[in-house]
Amino acid sequence: MRRAGLRTRVSAAFAIGALALSAGVTFVSYELISNTLFRERERAAVRATYFDATVVNAGLAGSDPEVGELLQALDIGADRYVLLYRQGQWYSRSADASAGSAVPDALQQMAATGQAGAQRIRRDSEAALVVAVPVQGEAVFYEIVSLGELERTLQLLALVLTAVAIMVAAGGAAVGWYVTRHALRPLAAVADAASGIAEGDLDTRLDPDAEPELARLTESFNHMADELSRRLQRDRRFAADVSHELRSPLQTLSAAVSVLNRRKDKLDERSAAAIGLIADEVARFQALVDDLIELARSDQPVHREPVDIGLLAGRALRDRGLPVDLVEVVPGTPVDWPIDRRRVEQALGNLLDNAVRYGGGPVAVRIGPEFLEVDDAGPGVPAESRPTIFDRFVRGPAANSRGGGDGTGLGLAIVAEHAAAHGGKVMLLDRPGGGARFRMELPQAESE
Amino acid sequence: MSAVLLIEDDDRIRLSLAMALEDEGYETHAVATAEEGLEMQRRQPADAVLVDLMLPGMDGFECIRQLRRTDDVPVIVVSARDDTHDIVAGLEAGADDYVIKPVAVKELAARLRAMRRRGRAATAAATPAMTVLTFGDLEIRPEAGEVRLHGDPVAVTRTEFRLLCELAEHPGQVLSRQQLLSRVWEYEIGDERLVDVHVGRLRHKIEDNTGRPRHLVTVRGLGYKLQP
Repeated sequence: MRRAGLRTRVSAAFAIGALALSAGVTFVSYELISNTLFRERERAAVRATYFDATVVNAGLAGSDPEVGELLQALDIGADRYVLLYRQGQWYSRSADASAGSAVPDALQQMAATGQAGAQRIRRDSEAALVVAVPVQGEAVFYEIVSLGELERTLQLLALVLTAVAIMVAAGGAAVGWYVTRHALRPLAAVADAASGIAEGDLDTRLDPDAEPELARLTESFNHMADELSRRLQRDRRFAADVSHELRSPLQTLSAAVSVLNRRKDKLDERSAAAIGLIADEVARFQALVDDLIELARSDQPVHREPVDIGLLAGRALRDRGLPVDLVEVVPGTPVDWPIDRRRVEQALGNLLDNAVRYGGGPVAVRIGPEFLEVDDAGPGVPAESRPTIFDRFVRGPAANSRGGGDGTGLGLAIVAEHAAAHGGKVMLLDRPGGGARFRMELPQAESE
Repeated sequence: MSAVLLIEDDDRIRLSLAMALEDEGYETHAVATAEEGLEMQRRQPADAVLVDLMLPGMDGFECIRQLRRTDDVPVIVVSARDDTHDIVAGLEAGADDYVIKPVAVKELAARLRAMRRRGRAATAAATPAMTVLTFGDLEIRPEAGEVRLHGDPVAVTRTEFRLLCELAEHPGQVLSRQQLLSRVWEYEIGDERLVDVHVGRLRHKIEDNTGRPRHLVTVRGLGYKLQP
């Protein structure tokens, strides 16, 4: 499973922390408030009951008191309910004599022993408090106080507190998201700079004063970029130096061989053969040096200009003594392509040389929208050679010797580099009916 | 037999190229420094000059500039460095063409022959009826090898003259760089910078304001044309 991103993780941690904290605070404060309110309410209820009990007690002092009237006379609110248990009979303000069933047995027994007490019960699915006060004449005065309103208040409080806790958690997540965005912004700058360098802009550097906390990162990044550009420059200079150093002796060889070649007839057979060998090898050496220099420079940007691709292909064929009518243009293909003439011409030439050398000669050069294809007559490329065919110094088995000996082994590698420089690629396909098909894709505009 | 001045500091290259050029039928004056080369050209003018850019003492660029002060002899740069900067600087100094070492002697001989034809085209086709091609204040006489601006003669090299004639023979018509390369330099495929640098050099000679050329104008993406 892919690990969640840093931002997600930090935000989640912030949210969980905020939720735990607010839940704790909410829980504690709810408990405190509800306990305090209940105790307060109970105390008030008990006090009221004692007061009513005193009234009832006085009323019962007579010989045959009218209990019903006595209870009716009490000043009580809607949320209180009074009962009197006297001589095995329940009395209430209404005629409902079964009201006594609401009083728990344990409280009745305790009150029967002459002790006052109170117990919390549930009545009509509401919390209520039953207070028992023994009065004179073996009687017990009960008062049932409804706590429903308090309970509803506390429910509302709980709801509000929960909502607050959730909001705090969401706020925590938002803060985490915001904070990480700010914390990661310098890293985004690093990422931009790194991709700038990867695209070839070697002068990209980070501002060392922008983020003091990231000074070390900035410093090592800039150091890396300096080092990289110095190495690239050294490599380029080396390629230029090598080209110069190799080309000068090659010039001498080439000129001296041509002098010898002219006098071949005057030499004996063995010497003439030896000179022929030297001439061939000088030519190959020269091709190798040219190809190596081309590869060393292949990372340079392409110089795009409108090029008539059909003319270019025709010329590439003519230069190699191949029939120009091999060119097939897919209908709808634009005539002028914005490409680097020299590099595309070389790439196409290398594909043609490759077809001649290893593929029994080209049978078609197809020009289509943003692609060029070269089909050959050969046996196709064996599966084991395919993965490495565009690597350097990889040569296939020569199908015939018309190509004038071995190639440099760099031709297809150069094709791949030129295609890549145009933002495209080269690939090896199978031609329907046998043979290989090399397809070079050349996007007309740089894809960013 | 035509003579070639070869200025090359590498002894082995100088020796082998001189031999090979002599095989191709050229009388070769081979020297190792630019100073010797200039002196040699004063005493025994050659028909073409081959010059290396990296030379001890005076370098090839300066050598070409000094040659150009007095001489319209065709100059080919023969350099082992093929970076754009060196090539363009060599052409801007006044060279007509360039080749990169190692160059096959046959190829070098072909370049020399092409330049010789360029030189001769300006003079050999002289006919009794002198043609004058006029573009406003610019006058070109192909047979006489003459260019006049406001009536005053302008000194142009043979390659510049061929280029101007090519454009003048197609008044108002756009010629592409590749067309000019094949007609003036006889290149089947060649470096278009040759054309651009020569056009730049010509503009310095025939335009009052090289930043806003009036006669020799660039047609973006197509090529160049000459207009009154």
